[in-house]
Amino acid sequence: MHEHSLIANLLSRIDAVAREHSATRVVGVSVWIGALAHISASHFREHFEDGSRGSLAQGARLDIEVSDDPEHPQAQDILLRSVEVG
Amino acid sequence: MTETTRTIEVNQLARVEGEGALHLAIDGGQLTAAQLRIFEPPRYFEALLRGRDCREAPDITARICGICPVAYLMSSCAAIEDLCGLSVPAPIADLRRLLYCGEWIESHVLHMFMLHLPDFLGYPDAVSMAREHGDLVRTALRIKKAGNGIVALLGGREIHPINVRIGGFYRLPTRAELAPLRDELAWALDAAEQALLPLAALDFPDFERAYTFVALRHDSEYPMGRGRLVSSDGIDLPVASYDDYLTEHHVRHSTSLHSRTAAGGVVHLGPLARYALNHDRLTPRARAAAQAAGLPPVVRNPFRSILVRGVEVVLALEEALRLIDGYVPGDTPAVAFEPRAGTGYGATEAPRGVLYHRYTVGEDGLITDAKIVAPTSVNQAVIEADLRHYVEPNLHRPDAELRAVCETAIRNYDPCISCSAHFLKLTVERR
Repeated sequence: MHEHSLIANLLSRIDAVAREHSATRVVGVSVWIGALAHISASHFREHFEDGSRGSLAQGARLDIEVSDDPEHPQAQDILLRSVEVG
Repeated sequence: MTETTRTIEVNQLARVEGEGALHLAIDGGQLTAAQLRIFEPPRYFEALLRGRDCREAPDITARICGICPVAYLMSSCAAIEDLCGLSVPAPIADLRRLLYCGEWIESHVLHMFMLHLPDFLGYPDAVSMAREHGDLVRTALRIKKAGNGIVALLGGREIHPINVRIGGFYRLPTRAELAPLRDELAWALDAAEQALLPLAALDFPDFERAYTFVALRHDSEYPMGRGRLVSSDGIDLPVASYDDYLTEHHVRHSTSLHSRTAAGGVVHLGPLARYALNHDRLTPRARAAAQAAGLPPVVRNPFRSILVRGVEVVLALEEALRLIDGYVPGDTPAVAFEPRAGTGYGATEAPRGVLYHRYTVGEDGLITDAKIVAPTSVNQAVIEADLRHYVEPNLHRPDAELRAVCETAIRNYDPCISCSAHFLKLTVERR
């Protein structure tokens, strides 16, 4: 239900990280999706590609690690692991 | 990573959902636009309901909100029961009111003490406030928990209850199961009365507006689950005439529809409206609490809504105790019925105001059309109007201060977007 705001928030963080490091483009983004997060990897990728159009992250490689551990303390979360900038 | 790229470790939570924003346009020191932008994606519940059995409506719509699922359960039951000509017996109506009391207590207390009070005391959030006002926060949480206890027992669980159905409940509690709630509710009633007194001494902005209040009104009780639709400008209509009075319109800056009267007016739903239109229906202790808090019978200062909510908490606790003491389980948990074709209308008083449901059902019992109007969407226009009036004298202040002012004004309404604690992205266009 909340993909739009989730991706918008993620992109805003990526943008902030990139600008903090004076980057002009984002080459790759790495995220971790908890086992109980409310989005699948394919759905996340689809929304990321759609939402990143026109941003610094447009066309960036997206690496997604999906956890299968429902006991993980952050099993419901999505973590932005790293941003690769050029 | 290549020679021309570098990887920056972040390891931050990306999942922060719920979005609202305020856009202010200031031209030559004058406010020319104040737009509350809600861009939560549409959720399509009305479309989702089409083709579903009308008996499924309460369970489906209860998932719309985790803070006021009881309101959705009750409005959908009221609409389908209206359609089927079903009248629930007194013990079931009483239990439903008791369940609604639980929701009012937990929702109002959450808003008053966790979201609204930090604004007045100058804290960024309830956690910071708790460091210096630990006893108050603990008391509030315990009162809230008393409300949760009602919902958990009657609803089967605290969030998104599952024990309500068209015609009644799936299972009725025994007197012995209700009895243990009593002591905690009695404590909470005393505690809520006491907690209201320091709130009455808060420094409220000197701000009043001439609202058109709209709420339900019932012959004998302060409205929760039933009543006619009344307003401060004299309308008195059956719920079935809701659509003749208020219509919804799309506005470009919000995914949530706005409501207007046929004459283009905006209306104010929620505690201030209920209280103003039903002051004579307050329970004795709630009336005394209102007096002790210095509230007149009509409150037009939205910042004082924290006090009116407190009065309604006292009322809900008093009602809960009365209903538990008088509870005699009926013979059957639900009235039998067969779905029939037609259109049904239901409205109940969610903590944030009138929640309206309308369903059209075919001969096969399947829903062909559904309309659900949440009070937050109706209140959007009045929130924007408040902001225009309240922000105007503050335009000279820096954006950060302006944002705090706006957040406080918006929070008067307890708008039900999932991030209402700290949600506001403020853009100020100064020319």
